[in-house]
Amino acid sequence: MLGVGGKIMLVLCIGVSVGLFLKAIVFRWRLLRLGKSEPRFDHVGRRLLNFFLNVLFQKSVFERPLPGLMHALVFWGFLVFLLATINHVGEGLSEGFSIFFGARIGTYYWGLVEIFALLVLLGILALAFRRYVLKPDCLTLPSNESAVIIVLITILMVTYLLGEAFRMAMEPTEAQADQFRFAGAWIAHGLARTGLSESALNVGFLTCWWLHILAILFFLVYIPNSKHMHLLACPFNEFFLSLKPKGELATLDLEDEAAESFGVAKINEFTWKDLLDLYSCIECGRCQDNCPAHLTDKPLSPKEVIVDLKHHLLEIGPRLLQKPGEVSADAQQTEEPVPTLPGNVISNDTLWACTTCRACVEHCPICIEQMPKIVDMRRYLVLMESSFPPEAVTVFKNMETNSNPWGIGWAERGNWAKELGVKKIGDNPDAEILFWVGCSGAFDERNKKVSAALVKIMKAAGINFAILGEEEKCCGDSARRLGNEYLFQMMAQENVETLNKYKVKRIVATCPHGFNTLKNEYPRFGGNYEVVHHTQLIMDLLRQGRIRLKNGSSGGVVYHDSCYLGRYNDIYDEPREALKTAGLAITPLERQYRTSLCCGAGGGRMWLEETIGTRINEMRIKEITDTNVDLIATACPFCLTMMEDGLKELNKAESVRTRDLAEIVAEKLAES
Amino acid sequence: MANGVLVFAEQREGKFRKVALEAVSEGKRLADKIGAELSAAVIGSGVENIGGLLGAYGAAKVYVVDDAALDNYAPDGYAKALTRIVKDTEPTILLMGCTSTGRDLGAKMAARLATGLAADCTALDIKDGKLVATRPMYAGKVMAEVTCPDSMPQIATIRPNVFSVEEPDKTKSAEVIKVAAEMSPDELRTRVREVIKAAGGAVDLTEAQIIVSGGRGMGGAEQFKVLEELAAVLGAAVGASRSAVDAGWRDHQFQVGQTGKTVSPVLYIACGISGAIQHLAGMKTSKVIVAVNKDPEAPIFKVADYGIVGDLFEVVPILSEEAKKLLAEQ
Amino acid sequence: MNIVVLVKQVPDTEAKIEIKPGTADIVTETITYVVNPYDEYAVEEALRIKEKRGEGEVTVVGMGPDKATEALRTCLAMGGDKAVHLKDDALEGSDAYATALALSKALEGLPYDLILCGKQAVDDDNAAVGIELAELLGVPHVAVVTKIEISDDKTSAVCHREVEGASEVVETPLPAVITAQKGLNEPRYASLKGIMTAKRKPIDTKDAAGLGLSPEQAGQQGSKIKVVSLSSPPARAEGKIVPGEPADAAREVIKLLREEAKVI
Repeated sequence: MLGVGGKIMLVLCIGVSVGLFLKAIVFRWRLLRLGKSEPRFDHVGRRLLNFFLNVLFQKSVFERPLPGLMHALVFWGFLVFLLATINHVGEGLSEGFSIFFGARIGTYYWGLVEIFALLVLLGILALAFRRYVLKPDCLTLPSNESAVIIVLITILMVTYLLGEAFRMAMEPTEAQADQFRFAGAWIAHGLARTGLSESALNVGFLTCWWLHILAILFFLVYIPNSKHMHLLACPFNEFFLSLKPKGELATLDLEDEAAESFGVAKINEFTWKDLLDLYSCIECGRCQDNCPAHLTDKPLSPKEVIVDLKHHLLEIGPRLLQKPGEVSADAQQTEEPVPTLPGNVISNDTLWACTTCRACVEHCPICIEQMPKIVDMRRYLVLMESSFPPEAVTVFKNMETNSNPWGIGWAERGNWAKELGVKKIGDNPDAEILFWVGCSGAFDERNKKVSAALVKIMKAAGINFAILGEEEKCCGDSARRLGNEYLFQMMAQENVETLNKYKVKRIVATCPHGFNTLKNEYPRFGGNYEVVHHTQLIMDLLRQGRIRLKNGSSGGVVYHDSCYLGRYNDIYDEPREALKTAGLAITPLERQYRTSLCCGAGGGRMWLEETIGTRINEMRIKEITDTNVDLIATACPFCLTMMEDGLKELNKAESVRTRDLAEIVAEKLAES
Repeated sequence: MANGVLVFAEQREGKFRKVALEAVSEGKRLADKIGAELSAAVIGSGVENIGGLLGAYGAAKVYVVDDAALDNYAPDGYAKALTRIVKDTEPTILLMGCTSTGRDLGAKMAARLATGLAADCTALDIKDGKLVATRPMYAGKVMAEVTCPDSMPQIATIRPNVFSVEEPDKTKSAEVIKVAAEMSPDELRTRVREVIKAAGGAVDLTEAQIIVSGGRGMGGAEQFKVLEELAAVLGAAVGASRSAVDAGWRDHQFQVGQTGKTVSPVLYIACGISGAIQHLAGMKTSKVIVAVNKDPEAPIFKVADYGIVGDLFEVVPILSEEAKKLLAEQ
Repeated sequence: MNIVVLVKQVPDTEAKIEIKPGTADIVTETITYVVNPYDEYAVEEALRIKEKRGEGEVTVVGMGPDKATEALRTCLAMGGDKAVHLKDDALEGSDAYATALALSKALEGLPYDLILCGKQAVDDDNAAVGIELAELLGVPHVAVVTKIEISDDKTSAVCHREVEGASEVVETPLPAVITAQKGLNEPRYASLKGIMTAKRKPIDTKDAAGLGLSPEQAGQQGSKIKVVSLSSPPARAEGKIVPGEPADAAREVIKLLREEAKVI
């Protein structure tokens, strides 16, 4: 098929392509190695399972059914074509090469390839239509890379089919033998009717053949040098997914004497998995679509954070890889220092806009962890530069001095319970469960009512419970999410000491943030307790019949999933069951369960001013009130506050009520 | 030989401040208790003729130091003048109002004379011939009874608006003694270059003794006028809750609350403010809180000393009217 | 430029203050101690002056028991360079005069261009130590200041001093004592980096003898004011909703504010 010159050309092209490919890969591999170490080789079975499900079966991509299907076709087509490509090169180097050595299986295989050639074409053209004609919001970044890939893949499929058609047009008998190459045969039939000469057909065939292989070789080099690096990175990213509890942030070792800096200031202070995330991002925009900050015009898009970090890594890479001896003294002096990320590559406004709602991580089909990187950069700003929104100074100082964000005297923390006759655990050491009241539940007038409601329920169920009273300190969630890891660890250690002193085994919390921190983060500080959220406790009590509710329906309700209960801890059903048991009919929201929209208070933002863009809580209230239901049920003191504030801001406070689940259930308790 | 009570009677622009008259009145009561004479010290510029007025309040002698260099209070000049008078009269007790001048002068005199200062007193008495002063500590959470047993004079500054002013007896008069100032420029190390009055008579929020604050219930920027009127009557500053600032009705510099300013006035009047915890964090140390709100369940009523459930647009104008009447009587 | 900042460790303003029965002291076991808030403004201002001038040293000086070291460390964590801790049982119970005297002795050995401190300590609320110290040192003072500008040659400063209803622009030669009022600045939050470097900064401890104080000059003996007893003020009355029609309630409230609360 190819003459000596052709074969030499082929080998040279392959050599160049593979060489450039390897150069790019090695460069990126070396950059990856700059990242800090992080153990992710545990639970290999689970990791492989994730790999199979999400990579081979494309499960996470199918979350968007139609585009997902189109992508899956292109991906599976890619896999199928691997052998075809080997065959293609083989036959170029050695006449009559066939990867299947003429076995029957080859015929089936080529038929499969045929089908997939068409499916890939369908898929890629549909995706192109989506990107350039439908223009969905999530695909905001102009992407020449996408255009290149679309063109390449189209060329590949067209040259394949056309090439086969030309080949079959030249050798009709073999075409009959290849019954499954129906498309090629169909085109070949048409070609035959054009009356082109044998040599013309051959030119057509060779043109297609060369175009095909050159496109592949170009593709090969293009992959690592574009966002299509995801082809190589994603499978690994899926394997290396985080198996920690979702609600646990990485714990810094602040005692490390050798550490010069805490948090992430420079790109190589991320872990290797963080850097792998950067290679894996395909810029699909699912994270952006679900980010409450982005949806309310704040300068934060998780996608853009990842993409900006990636570009920075590749740009600064060569300098980072230089060994000290390689840089001349002159160059060292004149060169600017490697820029810190926070405030430069990623703006401060971007970093502080995050509510840590976790929608980005939850919806990323390839296990990228955007939000923890933001917290890492916040940690640097807070711990090393003391640079953060000024409102947070008051909050940190208040937590340090009085163990609550409002700075109310810590000695008053138990006052809410005095008239309710709730015992402190010191006076009731045999209590079966500790009620972790939380700062809002103890100090905020509105949320004290929720605490009282839960007390009423637990008393009705005959539960022997106790509180810590003034020995309870803020769980530290806001401090940690704002980046003040030092303050958080101090508070966590103190709380764990107190809880362990009283030998606490079981805890119920009304605040999902406290619940999450106690359950998922305190174990690392020696605090191992069985922690339940009050909605779980209430459902347990209902199922066990320890409390009963009055009969009768009570109207309609909308349930707002709180981020730290839902996405963080997968608690979606118990609150809904409890509402149903209380006789309420739940009107579904478009954004609920995993796609619930954050109320805006997480990530420590409850304590900060919201000055950019529009209000997150107002957006959520608009969504909720569009249902025309007059009762909103929540299970979180932050959500309760934000919902009520939002209703007031939109002048709907008169017509729509907000209640915590505990209040709804307490009101409906049947007399025993 | 110690004798008598000396009162530094603070004047401003030729008029005695109310607290000065309170101090003179209290000085007289104390002087009577120890059976001694009451003297007063008047220091300033253009004050030669006002000294005599203090006779009606019980002063037997009034020492006046009049010098252009003493028109604004500055520590060096006033301390020099007062020290001269103290050396001449050797009082056992020295009193003054706890004002910005009094706090400053009282401390400087205490150090100069190596004696004790009881600051911001709310009650004074004599026990065994010695002054016993009651003064607040820990922002008023504790009252302390203090004495200055071994040194003279026993200095005390009194809190304004606590002690009563005696009815002046026009039949009584005081001997006015002019004291030469003898100020040389080098002695007056600090110099007041300029006095910037608070803009348009409006009082700064963090320093204000009385604050009138509006929240969501105000309904609009225009509506803040009623609060401004009340503030003008009371000599108060106008604050706002976060809702009002977010709505654009007031500037952020007037926001009271956790993310705004923390204030601790003597009187805080909250109008149309629900009393969410963020706001309370900024004003709950106010000595007296008055709340006006339509909603009887509003959390603000839990911290208010006096609450009025009603429409603030009805209530606030009446507060202004009544306050105006009351203060005019003064 | 050498700046000395005087710092006191005091109970947090939210702390529950209880009188130890039969004494003129308060119960200290349940109290959280902090740097006196007004002194924080002074520390912050000193740091800003140093940063603006690009040179200088900030020395933090405090008198108190052992635990007062924490307050000094916090100031070092904010950025102070070194600290002096006046620590001696003999110094306990000092009033404003005795405190100022002890501090004046401590400052004898230190070079200073400016002395800053808070306008008052939130425990005793005397607002006297800074002013008395200035008098004992023979330097001028400007108290209750919301703005400070130091001349380039550090021989003078222009301050905004807060008085009733106005702000005085006061010029003073340096060295001088300037006391800080709220609004002077927003104190920085010590970063972890600051906290860790502070561990290595020197704190020089001095006792009464080391300061050159005789027993008659120190502590309670050296105090001119004696605290005879402490009492709790009358409990704050339960807040009440004034009954009646809003208009009538309004009139009643003004009356109560005058007669009962005595605030207008």
